[in-house]
Amino acid sequence: MNKLGLIIKREYMSIVGKKSFLVMTFLIPIIIVLCMLIPFLLTKMNNDSATEKQNVTIIDETGALAQAVKNTPLFDFVTLKGEEGKKTDAHEFYQKAGEAVDAIVVIPADVLDKPQVTVYSENTVSPALLKHLEECLGDTLTGAKIQGYNVPELRKIIDDCDVELEVNSVKWDANGNENSSSTTAAMIFGMVLSFITYMFVIMYGAMIMNSVIEEKTNRIVEVIVSSCTPFQLMMGKIIGVALVGLTQFALWVLIIGAVMGITGLSVGGVGTDGIGAIFQAISSIDFTFILICFVIYFIGGYLLYASLFAGFGSAVDQASDASQFSTPIIMVMIIALYAGMACMENPNGSMALWCSMIPFTSPIVMMVRLPYGVPFAQLALSIVLLYGTAALMIWISARIYRTGILLYGKKHSVKEIFKWIK
Amino acid sequence: MNFIEIKDVVKQYDGHLALDHVSMDVPEGIIYGLLGPNGAGKTSLIRIINMITKPDSGEVLLGGKALQPEDVAQIGYLPEERGLYKKMKVGDHIVYLARLKGLDKVTAKQRMNEWLERFALSEWRDKKVEALSKGMQQKVQFIATVIHEPRLLIFDEPFSGFDPVNAEQLKQEILRLKDKGATILFSTHNMESVEAVCERITLINNGQVVLDGRVDEIKQSRKQHLYEIEQVKSSEPLPACEQLYTIEKETGHSTLIRLGDGTTSRDVIKWLNEHVELAGFHELLPSMNEIFIETVKKLNK
Repeated sequence: MNKLGLIIKREYMSIVGKKSFLVMTFLIPIIIVLCMLIPFLLTKMNNDSATEKQNVTIIDETGALAQAVKNTPLFDFVTLKGEEGKKTDAHEFYQKAGEAVDAIVVIPADVLDKPQVTVYSENTVSPALLKHLEECLGDTLTGAKIQGYNVPELRKIIDDCDVELEVNSVKWDANGNENSSSTTAAMIFGMVLSFITYMFVIMYGAMIMNSVIEEKTNRIVEVIVSSCTPFQLMMGKIIGVALVGLTQFALWVLIIGAVMGITGLSVGGVGTDGIGAIFQAISSIDFTFILICFVIYFIGGYLLYASLFAGFGSAVDQASDASQFSTPIIMVMIIALYAGMACMENPNGSMALWCSMIPFTSPIVMMVRLPYGVPFAQLALSIVLLYGTAALMIWISARIYRTGILLYGKKHSVKEIFKWIK
Repeated sequence: MNFIEIKDVVKQYDGHLALDHVSMDVPEGIIYGLLGPNGAGKTSLIRIINMITKPDSGEVLLGGKALQPEDVAQIGYLPEERGLYKKMKVGDHIVYLARLKGLDKVTAKQRMNEWLERFALSEWRDKKVEALSKGMQQKVQFIATVIHEPRLLIFDEPFSGFDPVNAEQLKQEILRLKDKGATILFSTHNMESVEAVCERITLINNGQVVLDGRVDEIKQSRKQHLYEIEQVKSSEPLPACEQLYTIEKETGHSTLIRLGDGTTSRDVIKWLNEHVELAGFHELLPSMNEIFIETVKKLNK
């Protein structure tokens, strides 16, 4: 095995072999899935489990509407007629009824003119009850009102007038063929990809920086560079950490997939309609092409930032001093992320165009633009710029690195560091 | 034949001249001392020999040929500031460093086991480095330096951090490696160890070679004609004889004299024999420590 291979292997094993790596790798997807599923499961549990039924008495002064309220697994309704010409005293009734009644609903006689229904209870009234009443009575009231106008087929006319506007976006390809595309899905997909790039670069960039500083504080670095070149050591680190990231990433996808699969089955096809719609929308995007571009940008962006982290990490003696260099790098990343979000509004605007050309922002911004379609020339230019800059940055960082790792005891200014490049 | 030839090497850092036309020849199979005060340029020179940095001008020849990247396999380097990966297992760590030097896996493992046994560290093989005491870590570092059986060994302050027992063990190992044919370059401040093991030295000050040669010859050339005399009747003072010597110092049991110009020890012994009963008469050569301090002080004035 050559030296680069050895270094990559050591770097990889030194992180993957740690307990914290295993813990992170297995816990994070579980936490993510739980965060997504818990609210879901809770609602479901709430509906399923027959919590104590509540007895609700409806005092219907109109004498006609209460039958519209149907019993549910949660609520049993008993209908009473109100005394004619007299306002119902709910409290008096409640005291008489004692504990047999949990809540009292009063439907006033003039409900058609003044659509108000009141629920009385000693406890907090559950939102489910309010919602149920609203649904049952609302429709009936509307129906009753419509009938009151005595216009034939009025109901049908009203239904007919109820317009739900659907906006479809259609994109022409070069031949003028129509491609239906979903803007929302494209937006989400692009945002997810750019966020993955951002997270990955920040997490593993910091890991590289720490690893460089650790070697320096350990003083092992001089032994290592007497066996290999500083460039081999730096690249070994960058590649090794990238492989760690890919391993972690692959495991996450697998675990999340598995956990989602299992829990999805047990949840029993909840929301299949929604998922189906999302899949339909996603399938209209050119998946393979975007994923290939994602990998290209991802690698380029990672190399660019990782070499920056490695180069500046070498100029620091202690991990606590690292922030003076890592903060500006992370700032640039955050700017790129915000630029990406802004470009979502107008993916073909001039800001999106520029930000997807500048190598420091392009890996993130281009991900947002891609689902909307990017002219090939722009894409090619952006990739060339990114890889050119990444190569230049690796070269510069290597020069900083080979000087930095052997200098101790002094904080170095950015100005000094630029001298090392020469 | 000279194993390492350093020819007119210049290295500049940020306006500071770390090595100013340094030349040095190290013959094969000896222990060679590279001396100098802090900041003299020793580490700069060692890093150049290790190909960690490149000289601005000049060249380094190893076995008569310019240094090539592959030559790292022939060099073992124990830096002054040294450390290990704390989280790695002792055995894995040694094998990793050995393989970086070009050993294959099987040989590296085999030699690692032999060396650990030699230093009674076998039971620590599967422990993490951080579990080891400092002395044990130093031994692991030493093993990692020599495991690929390099022809050139460079030790920068090898004894720092060793207790006397372990330092002696280390010294014996170094001498054993020399007997097996390795050339050893030894950088240190510890002049006692220089006198004990080094055959030749180069003294560097402010990036320049200020003294070099065989240790015994340097001592001879720097002698100040000082002799220590012991008498059988140690309480009696030594009679003065201004034509032959001056008395430098008298202690309870011996007297230090300096011979005058042109006087030989034979003259003095002859004269003393007639006046006192001699119990001891021997020349005091300056120690390397004295030579070092004297030379550096004189230059820095």
